[in-house]
Amino acid sequence: MSQLGPGLEQAFHVAAGELGMCSAAWLFVRELGKDGDALVAELRDVLGRSYPVLDAVATCWLEGRRAASIDVSAVSAACAGASQLLAIGLETSFLDALLPRLEGVAVWLLTQSAFSVDWDRVLANYQGRVRGVDLASFQRLAGRRSTLLVMTYGRRGELTFTSPEWLRVVGSDVRTQFRAVVGWDVLDAPMQVYPRWLVEAPCADFSQYVGAP
Amino acid sequence: MSSPQLVLPALLVVTLVAQALRPGWRLLIVTAGAALSCAVATLTGTASTTALFADVPWDVIVMLVALGLMSQIFVATRVFGMLAVASARRSGGRPRTLVVLFALVMYGVSGLVNNLTALLLVLPVLLILLRLMAVSQRYVSWTLGIVLVACNLGGAATPIGDFPAILLLGRGSMTFPGYLTAAAPPTLLALLLILAVLALVRPERTVQQSAVARRLSLAVVAALYRNTRLDWRLFGPISALMLAMLVAWMVVPAQRMGPELICWLGVGLALALRPRAGEQLLRSRVDVEAVLFLLSLFVMVAAVRRSGLFEQLIRGLEGLPIGAGGQLLVFLLLAGVLTGLFSAGPSMAALLDVAESLAQRVPPTAVYVGLALSVCAGSSLLLTAATSGPMAQILVERAELRDPEGARLHFGFLDFLPVGLLCFAVIQTVALAYALAVLVLA
Repeated sequence: MSQLGPGLEQAFHVAAGELGMCSAAWLFVRELGKDGDALVAELRDVLGRSYPVLDAVATCWLEGRRAASIDVSAVSAACAGASQLLAIGLETSFLDALLPRLEGVAVWLLTQSAFSVDWDRVLANYQGRVRGVDLASFQRLAGRRSTLLVMTYGRRGELTFTSPEWLRVVGSDVRTQFRAVVGWDVLDAPMQVYPRWLVEAPCADFSQYVGAP
Repeated sequence: MSSPQLVLPALLVVTLVAQALRPGWRLLIVTAGAALSCAVATLTGTASTTALFADVPWDVIVMLVALGLMSQIFVATRVFGMLAVASARRSGGRPRTLVVLFALVMYGVSGLVNNLTALLLVLPVLLILLRLMAVSQRYVSWTLGIVLVACNLGGAATPIGDFPAILLLGRGSMTFPGYLTAAAPPTLLALLLILAVLALVRPERTVQQSAVARRLSLAVVAALYRNTRLDWRLFGPISALMLAMLVAWMVVPAQRMGPELICWLGVGLALALRPRAGEQLLRSRVDVEAVLFLLSLFVMVAAVRRSGLFEQLIRGLEGLPIGAGGQLLVFLLLAGVLTGLFSAGPSMAALLDVAESLAQRVPPTAVYVGLALSVCAGSSLLLTAATSGPMAQILVERAELRDPEGARLHFGFLDFLPVGLLCFAVIQTVALAYALAVLVLA
């Protein structure tokens, strides 16, 4: 903790809430990595157990990977034909990269999180391109040309991990109201510690799953 | 003293005390107080309700509403949020630089838009940085306290920044350039003095932050505001309109076209630039709470005025065995303390009659600018003295600030008190010194 300072956990918690756990983790390892891998290793030791996505990203960094793998081609192909897209789970680096490939698609973000989030600030970055919708009213977006895009974190056999909001959205009634339910593995690496903040979801719940097999 | 002279002021004081004690029922209390004042004035033959409403300075209310709407249009351009983010970056995450930069930004912003809007625009950026930095309670109390006081000082610096100055402008007590040139320097001086004292207090000593942590904080802020852009298509015309209004306020004589009409026309044009959004702003963003609160206060003060009590107070002040200059200093000190207890709106509305009488015997600039500064000092005394205080408290609670050990940080009445006492002393001293200097030079 000596080099990183005492407020590190709080700083990561804030960033994870408003950027997404994976986007925040890559931001942190990139910044600390400028001073050498030792700081990234220290970050993993200090915060890894509390934030498993950060743990996995720091491990990737220490193994030599220097950036998140953001392949939007497969996701945009999975979303083809949709006129409305509702993103479940916030991952800003990934959503920012995907948006240019979604021309003509109205994009919505579920404004629900286990973290404390200033949604006005989050959405202001999209300048109207992405609009917020809450749990009470997301079903008005349902339709035969509407797609759900769910951010997921790693894969273990037939299971993946995602944010708890997914449990509040998914249901046998909801699934049939949407054209497709696309899962996007933004972590693209296995998690080594207990998946705190996340819930298990069968990959079979998604009509298409984009990520490593 | 006649019975209306006892009952009507008592009703005013009880109403003010009650609204200060129960801020959650503020509007209900003051509107009920105004209705009772009308009833008492009518039943005692002091004045009819029509007469009391005729005494209300409607031009001031028009300016308040119009400037509030102008603030909302500026909010839509995102200019002030970007300014706050730029300050955060410029500070390099250094705790001492951070408080100085945000105090200066808040001073500038609140000179142009009302205090509540200024807080809502600037504070979220500061709060997110404080969250990322995991600061101490002492640092939070002083930083937010100083920023809040800078907001009050900025509001007092220009004729359109806050209610007391708008009232002076609306009533024709001072001209736009007259107030601006007289009030801006002492308010800036007061802010610089407060920042100088802050350098001695050094609340940043309690913040433990490494260079790496500072860099991380700034990187996160940059990511949080990564795509926030200035809306040039709105900002350009709005700035041009605002500039035109400022020029008109400065060069058009008030007898030819009053400041309220310039304001009304300018804001009307600004709203018409985007008719749909303008209509939406008019329907949903007029600060009805502020309008009702001030209208009720004006009615109650008008009833007290009609009872003849203010004339007696003026005679009492004139009867003090000291010169007019001494009477002015007593009046200013009283204004500061009363504002601390009852907040700026009521104090200013009630004291302006006395100020107008004093202005006939001493230079008006000393009276009015001294009064605005004293009201600003009083507004900075307690967290509850200005509406921006409770708003800041709510924003801080929502931000869920924590110290490095994870303990929740607060910004309540007692946290603000040391800052408030210091700032009250500094600003009130500047107010008295300013009045004395004008008297001596005159």
